[in-house]
Amino acid sequence: MKMVFRLALSKLRYHKSRTMLTGIAIMLTTMLLTAIGTSAIALLDMNRQLVVAQTNYHAAFGLTEPGQLSVLSKHINVESLQSAENFAQIIYGKMNGSLNYYETIKDGIYFSHLELTEGHYPEREDEICSVPAFFKRVGADPVVGGKVTLSFRVNGKGDIQTKEFTISGLFPDREISTDISDSRIAWGAYVSKALLTQYEETGLYEPSPMAYLRVYGEDTLSYDEMENKINSTASDIGLDEEHVSCNKQYLFTMTSPDTDAVSIVVVISLVVVLFSTLVIYSIYYVGVITDIQEIGKLKALGASKRQISRLFFCQSGIICIFAIPLGLLIGYLLPWFLFPQVIRILNAAALDSTRMDHLKGLRNQLHMFSLPFLLAVVISVLIAVLVSLLKPIRMAKKVSPVEAIRYQENTTDCKSRRGHLTVKVSTLTFANLARNKRRTIVTMLTMGLSSVLFICVAAVMNSCRVEDLARRNILEGEFRISLDYAHNDKEYPENNLDALVQQEYFSEAFLERLSSIEGVESVKRAPGIILSSTDMESTLFAESNNRVAISCFTREDLPELNEQLVSGDIDYDRMTANNEVIYTHEYSFEKYGLALGDVFPLTLYDGDREIPLTVTLTAVSQPESYITLIIMTKDSWDNLGLTCDPTTDIYLHVKDAQYDDVKKALQDIVAENEHFSLYSMDEEMAIGRSGLSLIKYPVYLILVLIAVIGFMNLINTMITSIITRKRELGILQALGLSNRQLVRMLSGEGMVFTAGTLFISATLGHLFGYLFFLYAKKMHFMSLKSYHFPLWETVILALVLLFGQAAITLFINKKVEKESLIDRIRSQE
Amino acid sequence: MSEHTNIILKTDNLCKYYGAGDNLVKAVDCIDLAIIQGEFISIVGKSGSGKSTLLHMLGALDNPTSGSVWLDGENISSFKENRLSQIRRRKIGFIFQSYNLIPSLNVWENIVLPLGLDNKEVDTAFIQDIVKTLGLDNKVKNLPNTLSGGQQQRCAIARAIAAKPSIILADEPTGNLDTKTGDEVMALLKASAKKYGQTLVVITHNEEIAQMADRTVMIADGKVVG
Repeated sequence: MKMVFRLALSKLRYHKSRTMLTGIAIMLTTMLLTAIGTSAIALLDMNRQLVVAQTNYHAAFGLTEPGQLSVLSKHINVESLQSAENFAQIIYGKMNGSLNYYETIKDGIYFSHLELTEGHYPEREDEICSVPAFFKRVGADPVVGGKVTLSFRVNGKGDIQTKEFTISGLFPDREISTDISDSRIAWGAYVSKALLTQYEETGLYEPSPMAYLRVYGEDTLSYDEMENKINSTASDIGLDEEHVSCNKQYLFTMTSPDTDAVSIVVVISLVVVLFSTLVIYSIYYVGVITDIQEIGKLKALGASKRQISRLFFCQSGIICIFAIPLGLLIGYLLPWFLFPQVIRILNAAALDSTRMDHLKGLRNQLHMFSLPFLLAVVISVLIAVLVSLLKPIRMAKKVSPVEAIRYQENTTDCKSRRGHLTVKVSTLTFANLARNKRRTIVTMLTMGLSSVLFICVAAVMNSCRVEDLARRNILEGEFRISLDYAHNDKEYPENNLDALVQQEYFSEAFLERLSSIEGVESVKRAPGIILSSTDMESTLFAESNNRVAISCFTREDLPELNEQLVSGDIDYDRMTANNEVIYTHEYSFEKYGLALGDVFPLTLYDGDREIPLTVTLTAVSQPESYITLIIMTKDSWDNLGLTCDPTTDIYLHVKDAQYDDVKKALQDIVAENEHFSLYSMDEEMAIGRSGLSLIKYPVYLILVLIAVIGFMNLINTMITSIITRKRELGILQALGLSNRQLVRMLSGEGMVFTAGTLFISATLGHLFGYLFFLYAKKMHFMSLKSYHFPLWETVILALVLLFGQAAITLFINKKVEKESLIDRIRSQE
Repeated sequence: MSEHTNIILKTDNLCKYYGAGDNLVKAVDCIDLAIIQGEFISIVGKSGSGKSTLLHMLGALDNPTSGSVWLDGENISSFKENRLSQIRRRKIGFIFQSYNLIPSLNVWENIVLPLGLDNKEVDTAFIQDIVKTLGLDNKVKNLPNTLSGGQQQRCAIARAIAAKPSIILADEPTGNLDTKTGDEVMALLKASAKKYGQTLVVITHNEEIAQMADRTVMIADGKVVG
């Protein structure tokens, strides 16, 4: 073993360039995997921290009996407990505010907005605390010790009480835009137990406490197990499930990692591993071919098959010892440095200011390190190396001593060659490529594969257009005014669509008002939406609060619907006659267990009027932009005889020159109604742009690294091809081959590799690129619309390949030339 | 220098030293040698005596440490690499002990290689004549690794003659061959050189071959000793 180790070491030193290349390939693979995984871990952690930063309770119980809280505090499942009471409704203009009280019973629950920045929690009956903005809003000076007079109705009913409070503490301030109307912000101020007791004793206040709790097992249990545990705790204290509200977002984040992100990382990692395996394999394969004589000599000296394979393992092992840790280190440091930068950029873009606020503080506290993950990377890389070694080792084992010593590296099965009457430099080039057909093909394929991968992804990335992304929210024109509505809000039914349509917000007068704004070219209603419910058992309806939106399609939409048809058939007139409908989402169609031919007895809500209608699902088609999951024909829609205008969206086309003025005017109009939201093209473009760059640049970075690994392969082939033919090239020079002819011959060989690679990428690359685009489009990835040929990417790829191989040839040739011609002719490698 | 018009190759105080100080090796030490056109010279000497180094310098494969090599009246020691490769293509034919054929080219291509490198038209009749003389006529399409040692060396001889060089330099051309084949190859080499009027310089250990030559130069420790 010692001898094998020494031999491996000396071989590594002897074939320095090959050792370096293998090392770099392994290092880059490790680095890529580590960097991708670490970024994913950081991303998951960031999401986790964002969720955790707000609050960490598992569930809220709406308590029904007075004794429940104390039972809960002693319950074996309960880790932390906090009670909260909604004491009174604040009366101040249109303000939507409340006076509350909370008390920690078992430590461990926090709400970010309830962490005092100064002062203390109210103790005396006249003490109050809240965010400074609240006090400013009600006209008080937001300082601890300051006075504020508030009017309120205890339990939201009865007489209005007015009381002067002393500010005892302040919560962290929130940045709240002054443009947002009062009614849209839920203001909360906190008062003392003493005040509650005072009103309770007078009989004015009836406590209806909520219990916020955490149960044991967050780290070990799954989401479902946690939910079961919470529900069983509730039933233990005699509480029905309807009084239990789980903090789903928190529980989901803590118990199950984002499966989408994880699966993307796994797929990318698999591609990287597969690809690297191929490259490392190719390097070893070429190595064995050129080492056959040496292996034969070892065998002639008595080396067993086992020793030969050990020799290979030893060599790779030594390389891995250096390459893997280095790859891990760089792969870890890369996101460690870059990730906070990405977050900083995101912060600057401020896509979602409330989320980003939380990010500011945790930039440098991201948890990225995961030992099991790093071990998994090491194991994957080792497996990749091992797999890539299998065939070369098998080949090496088969080498017979006699054959190997005779072997002249040119062994082909051919005994003769048709040849040419005269020999030119190009004849030499092609003769050499032809004698190493397998090597030539393996190199071309691996190089080609990396280029195909590059072109494929480039094709999709190049087809991602900011405007397409923006068009997700603004289907046409430059602005969209949208009605914010709820489907089935039981607590605030006035926010439901059927209630809102009765208000006739989007009346003709309103539309005319919009048209009259200077610069507005046209105002258009989007197809309307009506809500439907069913008495039938249906997951689709159950998961949508028993309200599913329905819209319509016209005959003009038929070509697109037919093009995107997944199943069933679309016949407009038949559909109208039979009240047939189309389902517009392939994925959820399966998820909800729907089938063609399903019949739904529906109730449609036209304001306060209910229309019974039985529809049959006869087709699934997934058009680019669909408004609702179910669509019916326009004729069926018209037959409903709707009395309320079902418009929920309005699109505006405006003149470019007056865009900003129109936007300002629209902002003012939208601010008048709390149910309106304004979408403007410039903002959607900005959001699209940052969303796109978030994906585009990391993807291109990975591509470049893959290309680099692929390039290692070309370098290796060229080096081996030149170094192993040192003697032959020397002889050619002795026979009169000039330096210029030599360079021409070698770059000719490189050129063939490049041409082959480019051919593969130009044909297969673009073919697969287009197929990949179609697939991504079908999956609605980044709102892809039309295919954009990745011209620049292809040109850059070609240039890099051409110049890269020329540079390598010149570099190696210069190195070889340093050796005297005589030494080269005599060299035995 | 060309006072004697018949002299095709001449060395002037030719030296090739390796290393320095105590490690200085004088591979070729001040050799003056003149070779007349059409002459067949054998160079003999023990292993390490400097024969091959001398031959390499005569053939423009190696640069002398000092002194000069005159070929056809030109001092080639001062030439740049490009000019040297041109001279190797046109004026010198090499035959190596280990044949040194290009494995990816067939016999014919190997033979016409120096012509191709010089962008010259192949004189097919002439090459066919050589091929016939050397008994390779039914092997022209074969790749070198399918030939026997003797055949490979004959191919190397054909290659050396093909460009009609004025000088053929052979470095132990029979070193890898058995006696019978060696004799055959040598006889062919001598006959071809004569037929095409070429000067032949052969390095050999073989007494018999040495005796076939018009003149024998003996080298020891880098000097001509006889």
